[in-house]
Amino acid sequence: MMVGYGLAAWPCLAAKYGLYQHQRWRALAALLAAAALLAAALAFAGSARAATLARPGDARSGSLLLKTEGEGYTDAARLGIDVDVTVSGPTLRARVTQVFRNTTNDWVEAIYVYPVPDGGAVDTLKMVIGDRVVVGDIKERQQARAIYEQAKQNGQKAALTEQERPNIFANSVANIGPGETVLVQIEYQEPVHQSGDQFSLRIPMVVGPRYNPAPLVQSVDLRAGDNGWGAAASDPVPDRDRISPPVLDPSDHAPVNPTTISIRLRAGFPLGEVKSPFHNVKIDSPDSATRVITLADGAVPAERDFELTWTAAAEKTPSVGVFHEHVAGSDYLLAYVTPPVVNDAEQKPLPREVIFVIDNSGSMGGTSIAQAKAGLLYALSRLQPNDRFNVIRFDDTMEALFPDVVAADRDHLARAEAFVTALDARGGTEMIPPMRTALTDHQANGNTLRQVVFLTDGCIGNEQQLFDTITSMRGRSRVFMVGIGSAPNTYLMTRAAELGRGTYTHIGSVEQVESRMRELFGKLENPAVTQLLVTFSDTNADMTPVVLPDLYRGESLVLAAKLGKPAGTMEIKGRIGDRPWSVKLPLANAAEGRGLSKLWARRKITDAEVAQTTRTLTADEANKAILALALEHQLVTRLTSLIAVDQTPSRPAGEPLKVSELPINLPAGWDFEKVFGERAKINPGAAPVIERRAQERDGRIQIAMRAAPPAASAGDQPTPGVVLPATATDAEWNMILGALLMTFALIVLATRRRRMFG
Amino acid sequence: MNRLLAGRLFIALVLAAAGATAFGRGVYIHAKALVAQVLLERAFAETVATGQAVKPWPWADTWPDARIAVKRIGASAIALAGSSGQALAFGPGHLERTAEAGEVGVAVYAAHRDTHFRFLNDVAIGDEIDVTRHDGKTFRYRADGSAIVRFDQSGIDPLTSGHELVLTTCWPFDAMAHGPMRYVLHATMISPPPPEPLSPL
Repeated sequence: MMVGYGLAAWPCLAAKYGLYQHQRWRALAALLAAAALLAAALAFAGSARAATLARPGDARSGSLLLKTEGEGYTDAARLGIDVDVTVSGPTLRARVTQVFRNTTNDWVEAIYVYPVPDGGAVDTLKMVIGDRVVVGDIKERQQARAIYEQAKQNGQKAALTEQERPNIFANSVANIGPGETVLVQIEYQEPVHQSGDQFSLRIPMVVGPRYNPAPLVQSVDLRAGDNGWGAAASDPVPDRDRISPPVLDPSDHAPVNPTTISIRLRAGFPLGEVKSPFHNVKIDSPDSATRVITLADGAVPAERDFELTWTAAAEKTPSVGVFHEHVAGSDYLLAYVTPPVVNDAEQKPLPREVIFVIDNSGSMGGTSIAQAKAGLLYALSRLQPNDRFNVIRFDDTMEALFPDVVAADRDHLARAEAFVTALDARGGTEMIPPMRTALTDHQANGNTLRQVVFLTDGCIGNEQQLFDTITSMRGRSRVFMVGIGSAPNTYLMTRAAELGRGTYTHIGSVEQVESRMRELFGKLENPAVTQLLVTFSDTNADMTPVVLPDLYRGESLVLAAKLGKPAGTMEIKGRIGDRPWSVKLPLANAAEGRGLSKLWARRKITDAEVAQTTRTLTADEANKAILALALEHQLVTRLTSLIAVDQTPSRPAGEPLKVSELPINLPAGWDFEKVFGERAKINPGAAPVIERRAQERDGRIQIAMRAAPPAASAGDQPTPGVVLPATATDAEWNMILGALLMTFALIVLATRRRRMFG
Repeated sequence: MNRLLAGRLFIALVLAAAGATAFGRGVYIHAKALVAQVLLERAFAETVATGQAVKPWPWADTWPDARIAVKRIGASAIALAGSSGQALAFGPGHLERTAEAGEVGVAVYAAHRDTHFRFLNDVAIGDEIDVTRHDGKTFRYRADGSAIVRFDQSGIDPLTSGHELVLTTCWPFDAMAHGPMRYVLHATMISPPPPEPLSPL
């Protein structure tokens, strides 16, 4: 427009400056050229300058990052943790208190990603501000997040507890004022774990950094369908940003997140030995059946899972326990049954095929690979000459020692031992290809035992892909998971063992290797209790797990059921080897238990997820079932979250809020360089944001972010997503050009006429 | 002197002709977009009523797929199946091999930034977008994110397990020339889709 007017005024201007006719035209041409260039330049002004920011998910040396104003990452909040556990008989209830202290002069939103035992049912959230306590409510996940975001914007203090995995949770606390301290308490319920004559509980302390495979390019010929037959997502870990908190390099930083633990143990029977294998503890005995356990060192950094084991004082450990609870008109039952150990001296052990798979990725660097190698060498020494075996090692590459299973003779064993001893930890963790190779059975109709023993720390983000692989390829194999290290991914281990109809063994230190592997071999070499069937005299009993596992030597069957009333009997039938076994339990004398309804609901939710993996339920059906259970029993699941909002706004309008993603420690024994140095090379991770552009519209800020293309590196696949067509027409350009040209035409005519009269 | 006059007249005529052509072309594009939408509205109403794909004009090689409406700003457009350059002149196109609105997955609609999706500039996060499918069912989505991406690195996952919607157009809105960048508005369904009819076993 302005250019047009300027041009119309040109003749007058030119006359004023005394330009001759031919000079005028030349000058005009030059001006037009300049204007055209300017227009062209403006048209391309869309290309922006870049301001480079990095994501916490790419944390390298633990440096905490400062974002631009409005939302910033800062080292603002400090965290202290207290865990208070009460064990009553078969269940335990834990209260985890996280103390968020804001040491700066800014208003802060703190985000902390922490682990929860994978059988734990989180049901309570309390936010404590000064002397006020705000209790959280269970809401559907999106709704809870919307309430939280709204409260955050309004300046109200709010706490949100979300589940990212069954064993990874995230607490977000908004609007912690300068110098303020906010306490967030969550409580969960968990069954006590029994293995043989040893009972145990585990308090996980840190989420081990997860390897998240890069998204793969997939052809999009499938329509995302219904009925559960949709294709797997092309990004193996769509929520990678939610499970990757920043990790501190132990060589640069002191450990953070001091944690205090106290446990009140009332097992329900006189206690024998009570031990904590990974921490120094102080144990008090108020009476023969109670112990109070606290950490001898006061507070320890959250870098290694805490485990407590105890045995019964009596000679015979209780082999049956039946507990019930009456809640809201229904009766909930929890039953522990340990089948008898059958020692069949005359029976020769059956010939087996054992495939050992060992993880030698960077996360195993440090002490974990030593534990894994020791375990595997022990296992090789236990093989009989008529067994067949193979060894596969994997990181982000894979190598099988032999092309197929070979006889366990001296020559092959020697080669295997040399292979294992030479293993070195490096690289990422691509777990799917070795699992596929291990489950590939060249004698699918054979009648020998086929066992896959998988030694790993399980720190991957694409657990669901592994579960799908096991479900589809298992055949006659059994999958035994051996979890290594100070912070293994127990959710991966237990679910993989459940789907693979095997067991999970944990090795947390080199001292434990021999005893735990011997226990595992007891399970591998002796017949399991199979074909389990449970019937209740009450036909309306709703029992979980729906698919009963096979029980290996020393394992107990843990059942939960919802009944009309605690009367009648429960009968369990199965086969031990080829001998039938049955036991009948009267339910009327069940002892009182606590929190059993929640454990039942939690186990039903796991049932729904397993059913979805095995395609017995569609995704929508499973989601509906999970949501219904979660809302009825007030549990946090992947579809529900706990949200607590303090009604009085505290942050004054106009004060910016800075985000503080609290850093976590590297799990004890890990090697920082091996984990992050290697991973950054293989997997550049999510594309960093390189531009933020905010447009204010009617008082609403709309942020449009441009994602930079992922850094190219050798062997890395691009992640295009859907290709977007060109959607700009020439219309505007043409119209403006047309208008300009017609204006010139008019000018030309105008000057000519003026000349005639001038 | 006459020659000079004639020359100038000639130049003026040439300029005017070029200008008119260019201007006309620009206007034609807008006109085509407007008229097509009118015809498409009619065809869409008939499609919903009869259940058959009705062509908006006899020589059309595409048919109406859905209506995209944003009530707050009073914007509405009928989208076509397919997203070729031809189709985009008449209305937003539904990208092939992405889900239909209301199905599991992400439904992607693209349109020109200066014609049918000009209103995207005014859509804010939190706005509700109603998409009416050609079978008459309406689904409501809430805008929850926007991004600027390269056209070949959109990061849109076609196999997502949620019910999602993406409206996309060229970026920046006010630029003259074509560019490789696209503005992507992402929305998630907020009303549950109707239950799928059971398929016979």
